[in-house]
Amino acid sequence: MDPHAIEVRRLRKTYPGGIEAVKGIDFEVASGEVFGLLGPNGAGKSTTIGMLTTTISPTSGTARLAGFDVAKHPLAARRISSVVFQEPVVDRSLTGRRNLEIHARLWAVEESEAKARIAEIADTLGLSELVDRPVGTFSGGERRRLEIARALVSQPRVLFLDEPTVGLDPRIRAELLDVIAGLRARNDMTVLVTTHYLDEAERLCDRLAIIHSGRIVALDTPTALRADLGREIVELRVNGNARSVLESLRKRGIAGDDAFTVGSTLTVPLHEHTSGEAIAVVSELGVASAISTRQPTLDDVYLRLTGDRLAEAA
Amino acid sequence: MSAITASATLPTRRLGLRAQALNPLATLARRRFQLTARTPRELLVPLLTPVMFALVIAPALKSALHTNASYESFVAIGTVGLLIPLNTMFAGIGVIVDRENGAQRELLTAPIPRALLVFGNLVVALAITGLQVGVLIAVAVARRIHFSPTTSGVAWFVASAALFAIGMYAVAEILASRVPKQEEYIARVPAIAILPWFLAGSLFPITAMPVALTWVAKFLPLTHGLALMRYGLLGDSTSLHTIWGMSNPTEMAGLSLAVTAAFALVLTALSIRVFTRSALR
Repeated sequence: MDPHAIEVRRLRKTYPGGIEAVKGIDFEVASGEVFGLLGPNGAGKSTTIGMLTTTISPTSGTARLAGFDVAKHPLAARRISSVVFQEPVVDRSLTGRRNLEIHARLWAVEESEAKARIAEIADTLGLSELVDRPVGTFSGGERRRLEIARALVSQPRVLFLDEPTVGLDPRIRAELLDVIAGLRARNDMTVLVTTHYLDEAERLCDRLAIIHSGRIVALDTPTALRADLGREIVELRVNGNARSVLESLRKRGIAGDDAFTVGSTLTVPLHEHTSGEAIAVVSELGVASAISTRQPTLDDVYLRLTGDRLAEAA
Repeated sequence: MSAITASATLPTRRLGLRAQALNPLATLARRRFQLTARTPRELLVPLLTPVMFALVIAPALKSALHTNASYESFVAIGTVGLLIPLNTMFAGIGVIVDRENGAQRELLTAPIPRALLVFGNLVVALAITGLQVGVLIAVAVARRIHFSPTTSGVAWFVASAALFAIGMYAVAEILASRVPKQEEYIARVPAIAILPWFLAGSLFPITAMPVALTWVAKFLPLTHGLALMRYGLLGDSTSLHTIWGMSNPTEMAGLSLAVTAAFALVLTALSIRVFTRSALR
């Protein structure tokens, strides 16, 4: 049986000064799966990727790529993986092609094979016209595409994308999401992507781990994570104490254990009741200044688990 | 699932020395050379001061001090002792640029031993230093400064200059790995590259200094390097004798070469250790 493409067990990282960035996480990713680590800045996502790519040494626990322990067999683990970093990591004064060639040579891709792959990937990612220009002349989006192209030149079995769209304007971000979504078609490539954008996570990932303060607080498919919050949500802007209103709704059987408050906003996932029934009870209590209903989102999942809105935390 | 079991599922191949080290080293050295070639200051600036010394200041000193023509030769070799540290220290700036704005993190995730990143930079620093020393000597010869090279003498010179350059590049790599900003790095260069040059018998024999400083000079790798280079290119073993107090020039040259080699070896090992540790968070 093939090993998992990524297997993480009790992985922990404590930086000097006692800062616990990752607090003993466990997950595995199957071959060909797109797996997301979703969480705000400082949640431990980049540290996790750093440990998996052997640029950060774990304090304890194990991480394996295609069965290779990253601490014991770092060269083997690096040979089958590539990374697209959160910030630009390129040789700006060299051409795009030279950046791609250097990656190919270091990952031991034969010269003729590298040439063919570079031509194909540059074409796929819309870089053919740019690739012979110095990278310093590239726009942010072009540079990001080049970095993705570079990571693909060695045909990695495991591709790490660390916040691949952060800092890009919405149009370029949308373009890049198309590119990343297109990576799924590549044979057997496993992708681990970190993000704090909910739409990105929903669109790209087969499964998601929500990470908060160095711990994984939920792990499932985006659909299953949302399904935990029922079919519909009623959101109330409450006059007075939101917690006492929540208690009242619980007593009347409208709100369950997964209802939560943030300030004066009360969010009530509906499992057995309809929104009409819920609104009728709220109206009867006369405690809400505004009522709305909507589908559950990953932000609701995150909010329920952590007490923060992801967008605000990020 | 163990790594051994897993490896059976990977495309296995035997990686020889060429694939494991030489090809990546050539790639890294070529990359470094291309980056350096795009910043001409790294090539030209270190050359300016030594050429000025060899062509302007040494003749002026000779004239002012009423010394003979061999003093120009003495100082011409002395300026090699300035050129090597300046050039290698300038090369070290590339390491910081790589870390702050370049592709160092990408290289750290490459399936190659991280020591190769240091060696790739070293190869280029050594080549450029060699080129610059060649230019300096050629310019000095064109200015009719006299050298008396023999085959073995040139070998002593080259060995000494190369080992000293390796050691000094290692110092640059260590400093670049430990200092976060270019500004801080540059602020330390004079103390490392220029101060020892004044003490190491570059412009005058070390015996011209107070006894305590003469003893300090005897422990500087540059003093041994310069004494060897003068022995090689001028056939003059006076500086070696000042250090060792022995009568056999070849024996003294061997000892000074051993000191320079130890300097290069120890500092290079240390630079690899410091680089790999600083790169790994």
